[in-house]
Amino acid sequence: MKAERDGLPATLSRMKSAGFDYLVKITAVDYVDHVDVIYLLRNLEPIKDEIVEVTLSTSDLWLPSVENVHKSADWYERELSEMFGIEIRGRKAPRLLLEKWDGTDPPLRKSFAWDAPYKTKGEKA
Amino acid sequence: MNITRINVGPVHPSTHGVIRLVVDLDGDTIVNVEPHIGFLHRGVEKLAETRMYMQIPPYTEKLDYVAPMSYDEAYVATVEAAMGIEPSEPAKYARTILLELQRIASHLLFLGTLCNDIGQMFTVFMWAFKDRDMVLDLLQEAAGSRMFYVNMRLGGLNQDLPPSFAEHALSLMDYMEKRVFEYEKYIEKNPIFNERMKGVGVLSRDKAKELGVTGPVLRASGLNYDVRKANPYYVYDKFHFNSKTLQDGDNYSRYKVRMLEMQESIRIVKAAVRAMPEGSAKGMPVKLRSPVPPNRISIVNRELPRGECLMYMVADPQKPYRLSIRSPNFINLAAIGSLARGARFADLFAILGSLDIIMGCVDR
Repeated sequence: MKAERDGLPATLSRMKSAGFDYLVKITAVDYVDHVDVIYLLRNLEPIKDEIVEVTLSTSDLWLPSVENVHKSADWYERELSEMFGIEIRGRKAPRLLLEKWDGTDPPLRKSFAWDAPYKTKGEKA
Repeated sequence: MNITRINVGPVHPSTHGVIRLVVDLDGDTIVNVEPHIGFLHRGVEKLAETRMYMQIPPYTEKLDYVAPMSYDEAYVATVEAAMGIEPSEPAKYARTILLELQRIASHLLFLGTLCNDIGQMFTVFMWAFKDRDMVLDLLQEAAGSRMFYVNMRLGGLNQDLPPSFAEHALSLMDYMEKRVFEYEKYIEKNPIFNERMKGVGVLSRDKAKELGVTGPVLRASGLNYDVRKANPYYVYDKFHFNSKTLQDGDNYSRYKVRMLEMQESIRIVKAAVRAMPEGSAKGMPVKLRSPVPPNRISIVNRELPRGECLMYMVADPQKPYRLSIRSPNFINLAAIGSLARGARFADLFAILGSLDIIMGCVDR
């Protein structure tokens, strides 16, 4: 199911009241010109899964936080902002969850040069 | 309120890996716990984008280094789903047997380390590790290695189960059945064990759902979700077994759910070994050039010893375009703050032990 970015918290809370109250995972895929963010939701009784997909343009990477709807979104959103460089609005800026990179692209974006020799911030390329 | 801040870790014997917990205490009562993770982050999801399909299992195996077979299988099953490959019937049985053996080995490690954490130093640990070793011997017989197997191939296994395997597996399961009973008899009457486990770290049913915890932690809080039942794969739907659910949501329930699960795993292994069909379980040999996957996106979920693992893969012709791994430990660890709030400081390790986290899997 496709969703619009602006109405995302409202969409998820509507689905939550319809029974999809268990957040399985938030993940993203970088397709170079756009980034797809995927919310996997589950209804536990009876068991049914649903996928909500939001498409973001690479030049305008931000998302509203859904932490108020699903508390478990906390760590996933932090991971998302750190690994994909997506700004999460509507929550206080958290400290980094996994890894601090020195001035390079977010690691899971396609622009990340994984095979380039590692340089720290002070070193000249 | 006079808050004392204590750092636990990154290297601490009770944390089972490198994790730093910043604990705020009011007297002896925990006010807040903030886990700092990432010390074991190896970027497996990124590495997967740079390797051919069958070069990746050695990486995914090392995510959860006490249940590598399960992760190995979860990844290979995702590739199979992308390529539209169905494993042969003997392979399905063999995989079910190996996965359940791995679950028993993993739960035995949980049992040993948990008892260490709460002060029953080394007796149970030695017992459990001795038994775990016997399961590893069996896995070695099947896969040729004790720790990292890389035994799964597209459509089957690297090698057939040896002819002596069935007999050895059945006799080990008979022995293990007795041992699980002995463990329960030995541990559950111990007043120290009960004092530290019952009513400590309670996670209510609603809270468990809200925090998104998974696996035995979810089932200990009264929510019956088990991928093996909800979305049966291989031959799980052919055997009668129960996915055990308890209601209390405390440390004790999280321990007990795993003990009951071990009994169920023993039943599954016995039934699967007896019903194993004739024929070869071998899969396709590893070639760098794999078949081109017809499915662009594949989603596979599996019940690992620690909870539900979900792999979301976007496929390219020779290697994954993106591999996203939902690690069960990651989300179980995120719940530690809610679980430990209000408990005593010494209980933190009992709670952490009952969550049974593996840091390799949390950090990926």
